[in-house]
Amino acid sequence: MGGLYLESRLGFLRATQNTDGGWGYFPGKQSWFEPTTYAVLALHGAPDSDGACERAWKLVRSWQMPDGSSRPGALVQGGTWVTAHAVTLACVRGVYDAQVRRGVDWMLEVVGADHGLVTRAFSYFHLLKTKLDVSHEGWPWRAGNSSWIEPTSHTLVALKKVAGRYQSAELDRRVREGEALVLSRRCSDGGWNCGNPNVLNFELPSYPETTGLALLGLQGRGHTELNSPLQVARRFRMETKSSLAKAWLTIALRNYGDSLEPPAEQARTSSDVMLAALEALSHPQGNFALFGTGAKA
Amino acid sequence: MTRRKFIPLAGAAVVGTYAGMKLQRPPKLPDGPRADSAVSIMRARTYSDDLVSRMLEGLRQCGLDPRGKRVLLKPNLVEFDPTTVINTDAAVIAAAVEVFHKLGASEVRIGEGPGHRRDTLDMADDARYRSVIPHFEEIFTDLNRDDVSPIRGFGHESEFYFANTVLAADLIVSLAKMKTHHWAGATLSMKNFFGLVPGSVYGWPKNKLHYIGIPESIAALNRRFRNTFAIVDGIVGMEGNGPIQGTPKPAGVLVMGSDLVAVDATCCRIMGIDPEKVDYLRMTADIGHVHAGRIEQRGETIASVQTNFALIDEYKDLRLRTTI
Repeated sequence: MGGLYLESRLGFLRATQNTDGGWGYFPGKQSWFEPTTYAVLALHGAPDSDGACERAWKLVRSWQMPDGSSRPGALVQGGTWVTAHAVTLACVRGVYDAQVRRGVDWMLEVVGADHGLVTRAFSYFHLLKTKLDVSHEGWPWRAGNSSWIEPTSHTLVALKKVAGRYQSAELDRRVREGEALVLSRRCSDGGWNCGNPNVLNFELPSYPETTGLALLGLQGRGHTELNSPLQVARRFRMETKSSLAKAWLTIALRNYGDSLEPPAEQARTSSDVMLAALEALSHPQGNFALFGTGAKA
Repeated sequence: MTRRKFIPLAGAAVVGTYAGMKLQRPPKLPDGPRADSAVSIMRARTYSDDLVSRMLEGLRQCGLDPRGKRVLLKPNLVEFDPTTVINTDAAVIAAAVEVFHKLGASEVRIGEGPGHRRDTLDMADDARYRSVIPHFEEIFTDLNRDDVSPIRGFGHESEFYFANTVLAADLIVSLAKMKTHHWAGATLSMKNFFGLVPGSVYGWPKNKLHYIGIPESIAALNRRFRNTFAIVDGIVGMEGNGPIQGTPKPAGVLVMGSDLVAVDATCCRIMGIDPEKVDYLRMTADIGHVHAGRIEQRGETIASVQTNFALIDEYKDLRLRTTI
C-alpha cells in the first residue's frame, strides 16, 4: 500500500505514539490534540493501526471540558479551536453521542469577538486599522478572541461533516456565516493569509497553507466563486517550498477532484509528526478524503 | 431604542472616548531603576563585518557575564520576502551563537515562535538560518510547538503558558530587528518577546496578546522575563510600513544592553522616533530607563549614527523633534 512515501510516514507515526495514546508535535514530546488528530486520520483504516487509533481516541475524548470544548494539549486547561478536530474525528469514527453533541453546541455558541458590538461600531465609523468585514460570524483560536481563517475553516469542515446527524437551522446559519467570513477575507492576490487582508490601507499577501485550509472550509460552494482561488491554490502548490503548505494544498485540491501527480517515492526525512501525518494524508492513497465534506467546484 | 439609532449613538460615544484619550496629556514618566543603564552602540556597515568582535566588545561594555548560563537566543523570524529585510539576519545570529559559546555559556539554543506562519523551519530556510548557522536544526526550538507549562500571573491573566525552552533558560537574548511597526510604532528588543508565546495554545496570530493590548502585552512579557539581554540588528533595518512590508533602511549599527527599555529607547532615538511617545516604553519606564540622561551611551554616540526611519502617516507624531 502506498509505497515508500506513504509507508515511511505511517510507520513513523506508529512508532512515535506516546504511551498516553497521543502524539506530540515531535517524538517524545507532550501529547497535543492537533498532531494527534492528523496522526489518527492518517492511520485510519491502515493495517495494524486500529489499536493506536483507539488509544488516541480515548485520550482526546478525555480532554473534553464540561462546557463541551476540548483542550489543546495534555497540560493545557481551557478549550480551544481543536474542538472542531474532536467533532471531525467523531464523524470519521461514526460516533454521534451526547459528548459529540456538546462539542457541536460549543462550536455553535462561540463567535469571534470581532463580531462584537464595539468592533462593529468601530467598523461602522471606519475607526478600525484593518478593512475587515466584521459583519460575519466566524471562529477564533480561543473563545473571546477574533475569528481567523484556520480555526474557521476547521470548524466549517467539522460542522459540515456532522450536519447530517445534528441538523439544525442554527448549524446551517453558522456554516453560511463562516463561509461568508472566509470569502470576505480573501487577499487581493487571490488567496488567504491568517485572516487579515489589509492593515492601514496596505494590502497584505496570502499564504499557501491558509489558502489550502480556506478551500477545505469552503467545500460545497459554487464553481464561479471558487474558480479563481482554486487557480491560486494550484499555482501555490507548484511554487511553494514549504512541505506543510504543499501538504495542505494537496489535501484541499484532491478534495476538489484535482488529479495530482503522486509525490516522489522518498522516505520521510523530518521529525515533525504533524507534517508526516499531513503528508501521508495528502498521498493519492492516503486518507485526504476524510477532510472531505462534498466539494462542488 | 432601535438598532438603527443605537449604532450611531454607540459609535459617537466610542469616537468621543477615543478623542478624549488622544487629547489627554500623557503623565510624566517615572524615573526608572536607581542605577543608570549602559547601552552599547557598535558600528557595523555590512553583515560581512566582523560581528563577533563587535558583539564581544558590546557585551564587555555592558558588563554581561553569561558564564555557565543556559542561553536562549530569540531572533525575529516573522515571514520571508526576498525584496525586503523582515528578519534578524542569519549572520547576526551565527555571530551571537559563537560569542556566547566563547564567553562560556553552558548551552546556547535558538528559539522562535513566529506569529503568522506555521512552517517555521521553511521560513528559517528562506532566511538562510539553516545554511548560515552551524548545526541550526540541532539547536533550534520552534517555540510555537514546544512543550509548555503554565505560570501564575501574566498581566491581568491568572495563568499563562510558555514554552518550556523559554522557562528553562537562564538568560534570554533578544536578537531583534530594528523596524517600524504598524501597530506599535516600532518593534525592537521588547516586542520581539511576542515570539516566546506558544501558538499551540494561543494560535496564529497570538490574538490573545492583541486582546490584552499590544503595549500591555509587551510590558507584561518584559516584566515576566527579567534575565534578559538585547542585541538589536540595525545593520539594515526596516522603515515605513513595518514590520513586514517596509523598506530596507541601512542604519549600520548593533545596539546592545541588559536594560531592554534603555536599548529600545536608544534604538528609537537612532531611528528618529521619540521614545517617550511610544506607548510600551511609557508603560515600562519603571523597570528600565527611557530618559536619555539615565542611559550611559557606550561605543558610538547616538548623534553619530542617527538616521530618521520613514514613518507611515499613522505614526508621524512619533517623530523625534529635539536634536540629539
